[in-house]
Amino acid sequence: MFAGTIRMSVPILLPALGDIYTQRSGILNLGVEGVMLMGALAGFLGVAFTDNLFIGMVFSAFIGMISAGVMAFLSVTVKANQVIAGTAITILGAGLSSFLFRAIFGVQKLPPLVREFPVCKIPVLSDIPYIGTIFFEHNLFVYLAYILVPLTWLILERTTFGLNARAVGEHPHAADAKGINVSLTRYLCVLIGGAYAGLGGAFLSIGFMNTFLAQMVGGRGFIAIAVVVFSRWEPFRALAAALLFGVANALQVRLQAMGVPFPPQALQALPYIMTIVVLLSVSRRASFPSAYTIPFSREER
Amino acid sequence: MAYAVEMSNICKSFNKGKVQALDGVNFTLGRAKIHGILGENGAGKTTLMNVLFGLYRADSGTICVNGKPVEIHRPKDARALGIGMVHQHFMLVRTMTVAENVVLGLPSSKAPFLDIKSATSKLLELSNVFGLKIDPGAKVWQLSVGEQQRAEIVSVLYRGVDILILDEPTAVLTPAETRDFFKMLGKMKAEGKSVVLITHKLEEIFDIADEATVLRNGKLACSTEVSNTSKQELTRMMVGKDVLFNLKKSSYEKNALDSNERLKVKNLSALNNKGLSALDNLNFSIEAGEILGVAGVDGNGQSELCEVLTGLRRIESGDISVNGTSCTGREPKAFIDLGVAHIPEDRHMTGMAMNMDVSRNLIIKDFDRKEYSFLGILKSGAIERNADRAIAEYEIKTSGAEARVRELSGGNQQKIILARELGKNPKVIIANQPTRGLDIGATEYVRQKLLEARDNGAAILLVSADLEEIMQLSDRIAVMYRGRMTGIVPGASTMEEIGLMMAGYDNTKPEACNA
Amino acid sequence: MTEATAKSAFNSVISAVTAVFTALIFGFVLLWVCGYDAVKAYTTMFNGAFGSANRFAETIVKTIPLTVMALGTAIAFKSKIWNIGGNGQFIVGGALSLYVALNFKLPALIMFPLSIFMAFAGGALWGGLAGYLKAKYNANEVITTLMLNYIASFLLAWLVRGPMMDPAGFGFPQTPLIDKSLQLSSLLAGTRLHSGFIIAVIIVILCWILSRSIFGFRMELIGESHEVAAYSGINVKKTTLMTMLISGGLAGLAGWNEVFGLHHRLLDDVAGNYGSMAIVIALLGGLHPLGIFVSGLLFSALLVGGGTMQRMSGIPLSLVDIIQGTVIIFVISRAALTLKSK
Repeated sequence: MFAGTIRMSVPILLPALGDIYTQRSGILNLGVEGVMLMGALAGFLGVAFTDNLFIGMVFSAFIGMISAGVMAFLSVTVKANQVIAGTAITILGAGLSSFLFRAIFGVQKLPPLVREFPVCKIPVLSDIPYIGTIFFEHNLFVYLAYILVPLTWLILERTTFGLNARAVGEHPHAADAKGINVSLTRYLCVLIGGAYAGLGGAFLSIGFMNTFLAQMVGGRGFIAIAVVVFSRWEPFRALAAALLFGVANALQVRLQAMGVPFPPQALQALPYIMTIVVLLSVSRRASFPSAYTIPFSREER
Repeated sequence: MAYAVEMSNICKSFNKGKVQALDGVNFTLGRAKIHGILGENGAGKTTLMNVLFGLYRADSGTICVNGKPVEIHRPKDARALGIGMVHQHFMLVRTMTVAENVVLGLPSSKAPFLDIKSATSKLLELSNVFGLKIDPGAKVWQLSVGEQQRAEIVSVLYRGVDILILDEPTAVLTPAETRDFFKMLGKMKAEGKSVVLITHKLEEIFDIADEATVLRNGKLACSTEVSNTSKQELTRMMVGKDVLFNLKKSSYEKNALDSNERLKVKNLSALNNKGLSALDNLNFSIEAGEILGVAGVDGNGQSELCEVLTGLRRIESGDISVNGTSCTGREPKAFIDLGVAHIPEDRHMTGMAMNMDVSRNLIIKDFDRKEYSFLGILKSGAIERNADRAIAEYEIKTSGAEARVRELSGGNQQKIILARELGKNPKVIIANQPTRGLDIGATEYVRQKLLEARDNGAAILLVSADLEEIMQLSDRIAVMYRGRMTGIVPGASTMEEIGLMMAGYDNTKPEACNA
Repeated sequence: MTEATAKSAFNSVISAVTAVFTALIFGFVLLWVCGYDAVKAYTTMFNGAFGSANRFAETIVKTIPLTVMALGTAIAFKSKIWNIGGNGQFIVGGALSLYVALNFKLPALIMFPLSIFMAFAGGALWGGLAGYLKAKYNANEVITTLMLNYIASFLLAWLVRGPMMDPAGFGFPQTPLIDKSLQLSSLLAGTRLHSGFIIAVIIVILCWILSRSIFGFRMELIGESHEVAAYSGINVKKTTLMTMLISGGLAGLAGWNEVFGLHHRLLDDVAGNYGSMAIVIALLGGLHPLGIFVSGLLFSALLVGGGTMQRMSGIPLSLVDIIQGTVIIFVISRAALTLKSK
């Protein structure tokens, strides 16, 4: 069960890590769900046509960036309302991914399968009893997600780019005055978010199910947004939050199987309730990115 | 020795030449000198310095830095020439540390990583040299306003500037902070930096500056060594003497029985948005048919006073009564219902709904009254008739009652506000900068309308940074300085007298004219 | 109506029609590129939605909840409150009204208005919660309404498997049917068109009246800017809360319509993706009640016709999603561009 929790936290963790960049730069991308679906399809197509898992991964990240690029264009260049733009991306991503899948593969009794991602046992570490199987017997996606946690933290907290991204989300006019290109920074952050979300989708298609299904993302894009708010825009807390959402899900299955007289749905709803509670505390202390959802234009001060 | 900066014949206009902000101004800054730029609001002080810093481009004129002619198109060019500017509104990111704010936008020696460590040590070194107490690791939101300012200055110094422009740096400082700040300026001078200090406050020039330039209405009024001049002379240069308009104003006769008191404020205190004291124990009253002018440098509590008197800001202590009814702690609606009209400072954000049409903007305070609604439904006929009447009466130039107000000129937008606020014979009018940004014709119109309202018996509180406007319209004049009224004097007082009060000199007996 | 309002109404209609047209062309090109018979696809879609009385009735049946929910969404959007929690409000409204209908034995004459009231109250509770948190704690309503959607769907999942599960339902996750006397009567024999349509039309009219009322004016001023609203003597927090109560209440009524008119019981996932469709419909309808009614009809037709198209010609229904998504992109781009050029 624990190894399963780890695995199933990946398609939440990956888009959440990417969305930290996006939200930190002041953009709420409600289109993550759609971007993930496009990434899931792209990953599947990449592997189906080249039989190369690596190409599948790269292609999914690329298509994720293109899909998020539409969001960046709408919210940064057109300065459209982000809630509506994100909704459009989600609907479009869902429609386009399943349409293209059907157009390419037609209607089949059984979904077409691609080859499986090999499990890489990490030598020595995977031999540790108990812990070894939980943490060190997974495929490449899982390790990638876990490496990206400290990497995301490092980039956001310790690099010039990360500093720029935070400044742009918090006080775009100050960033502009110091010579930072606000629009470019926001574009980059949304595109990085898209790449991560695309990979998150590809984990579901080529890293887990070995096929593509129209409903396969199943709201994980929105959960990722919740995870980002819950973790207060911090990668390590996002890891914990992604695991929490995963554990709540795994635990309810367990409890149900054991016949515990406790509504399992209450357990599933708990992380969402906690997200609202966290939101209340950050709203009061105003530690929300100040320029959240506000388009930037130099003339309006 | 060449000047650090020499600007000659600078002209700059806005709104396609409609407003001449700078008109052939010359400016010289000596090396390792502190140079004060004086002038009223709108005199062109900040505009001139924005030209030097590259935020605006001059229409004509030349700039030399250290004797060499230069072209400054953007702030980046200015920085390359060693020119730095600290704006009135701080450009700091609140959630980041001082050190992070300082390195923001600068290339890093350890790219792509930040080099906070060496930045921190360099910051500590700078703060030692200039006596700037600052904690590089503190988050900006934890800092006081004075500390934030030091963070801003240190961030400019960090960029290695030789010429530092400070826009009204002391406006936000306490007296103790100001003393420290001046000490620091002295050290900067000793280190060979040249400093431009934009200010309203005369005393500061004599405290710290070596040279002074006075601007008035976009023109150079005088440029001098501080040792060669006096406070009286500079004040006269600042406020000038020319009166623009000839308004018909009847003389005001104080009612002996004192029964016409329309607005009374007792021991009023309130905080500003940052939670600091903005209004400090104010006491005054205004009678029917009287204009109380409130002069003073922007940011001394005038805006907060207007918000408090219309219910938009909570008060900490004290009492407000309108027509004898106490309004303390009431909602804006209560003030409106008691007949308090409000001409707000910010027309666009507060005074009107920019995307709504003219007719609806005329009723945003009255839409729930019987004349405009029936059983909760708005009567479009009545709303349109009201609009047609107001457009005719106030000569509002618009393509029609259905035009969105954002398509109207500033003067016509202000006329909509006047029509709405003055049209119902208000008991009290709170007018905050009612002519700011308007052209001469519109300005005269607004002033005439205010006088008409006064003659119809309204009690008017007029806040303006334009001393001439205050002198022309007011029956009594109060000056606000750091949240207090430094004195209330008769409307016939001299400009010099009021100018000195604006600079913080309280040379009148407080409440001299207030019964 | 004066010339200027007529002109601006005309402009927004033109803008909506252009957006739909461009999206349809985009879909057409996509079909063609993917090797489908695009002409046939569109004709089957059209016939599927309007081709017979029965099909047209199906289109109307879908229009009812979508329009009512979009009206609720539009009310919030007009105040610039971004309520994306329609689904949650729909579920709670539907569940509360069904609970009353199943558990209290009252004459239909009383039960009928009571259930409508409970549906509104349920939706208002769920929407109002987000409104309260926004007014009181400044909590971003996009996040709270999104979370409340999930919480409501877990609540629904629990209800249909737990306390409200049909004992005679062979373990299916669904509630018992409501009494025949409470089910909305059929309007057209042989079709599923029910009298909820009349209720929906009444709601459209009520929303139109609301938009011209004192309260509608208050909501619009809040949407303009909080500063100007406070200046005008409006209590911003109270109006924000009221807006969310009405917005949520309307979504609750949409739930009532679906439950009492169509399913006559609660099912898992009864709200489907109505929430995001309601956003599209509200936006395309220019946030105007009549516009919303027309765009609601249009999207229901796309949905019903698209279903037929998938069955008859094997062209995936997801084409409808693509058209929806492109419509929004065109609408918001156009709106933003016209604002900029001014």
